[in-house]
Amino acid sequence: MSVLFVHSHYGEPGRGWQALADEGRLTIVRERELSPEHFATTQGIVTTTHLDQIGFMGWKDEIAALFTRGGSWFFNGHTLKPFVDGLSTYRPLGSPKRADLRLTRLFEHPIYQGIPQGDLEENKGVAGFYGRGHNPMPAGGTAVNGISAALLPIDWEWRLPGGGRMFSHAGNDLGGMGADAGHSGVLTRRIAAWAAGEI
Amino acid sequence: MKVLAVHPGTYYHIESLEGPRYGGYFDEFVRPEDLGDVELDDFDVVLVPCRTPADRMAKNSAQLRAYLDKGGTIIATGESDSHLWLPGIRFTPQPTNFWWWLTPGADLGVRIADPNHPLFARLAQRDITWHLHGWFDAPDGAEVLAVNDDGKPILYIDGVTTKGRMVVTSLDPFYHHGSHFMPATTRFLDGFLPWMRTHLVRNSKAHERVAAL
Repeated sequence: MSVLFVHSHYGEPGRGWQALADEGRLTIVRERELSPEHFATTQGIVTTTHLDQIGFMGWKDEIAALFTRGGSWFFNGHTLKPFVDGLSTYRPLGSPKRADLRLTRLFEHPIYQGIPQGDLEENKGVAGFYGRGHNPMPAGGTAVNGISAALLPIDWEWRLPGGGRMFSHAGNDLGGMGADAGHSGVLTRRIAAWAAGEI
Repeated sequence: MKVLAVHPGTYYHIESLEGPRYGGYFDEFVRPEDLGDVELDDFDVVLVPCRTPADRMAKNSAQLRAYLDKGGTIIATGESDSHLWLPGIRFTPQPTNFWWWLTPGADLGVRIADPNHPLFARLAQRDITWHLHGWFDAPDGAEVLAVNDDGKPILYIDGVTTKGRMVVTSLDPFYHHGSHFMPATTRFLDGFLPWMRTHLVRNSKAHERVAAL
């Protein structure tokens, strides 16, 4: 069983993901080449902000089956489609000011171990790349990071009632965050390890 | 006036194309994979939004060319590698500086090249200025509407390569508007989409000059 990285955009996958594939840690598959067998034989999947959410709704049954047998899905982006019962539509911050983009660690999740959330708040001095809103957290989820003074759950992990777990990062792809502080490669590897059920 | 929008299905496409702010500007949506089943001649405009994967469009290039040759209009916005699936497009990508505005007094260098064009009755220079992804070598006879800091086209209308029109840009407003990130891109669409509906009627020359109206 391996991890499946769903490659949705045109062009090469990110170098960190390609390196993991080269090491045999995951399989990269173009989104349009997904098959039922991919879902049936993977421990976890990672999707990016460029996911064709309309097309991915066609895999709703396969996603449910993945969760039922204890699999994982790391989701980057805004939830605009109800892939799983319990998910709700993304909510952007309304015209956020700098203070509204403040991030707060709410739970010490293994993906972020040793990485202060403040290191991920800005990219070359600019806030907002990490995310500017949240995917509403399903009941029973654990908020990992909050945004704004309201601590809206921009990152959460959800252990589904019927088995399996989902991690939602409501922003640009998490693996690309924290490059200024040297964290991006670390985050990519941690995401893969989480999807594999290793952490 | 009928507009067909190609819908690649990402969150930013769903927000931009289906959301309440702009949803009314599009009459029908089609998935790139289903374009072959659509009679494009029924539409005044076919719009392909930012970051449509080129490999999902490439197999439709002959159909798009035939539509253009019968007088159709195609709009292709940025980061969609339109040079891979539309005729006569020569594109040079450039590294994107997302941080240019941090320098006090900085100027990205984007300029309106044709202030009398009716599009700019609806858009100001600041509405086409967010960042750059590359430029085009527009064919002779094309209407260049906006240029980068080197005077290279970043938004133009090509009415010479085919019997139809191609509105081509490296600007990526649908991506940023749909990501709720970059107010200038929302202002751009606030002006661009009404212009599309009123000035890109099939076989119309209305887009060409304010003086011609």
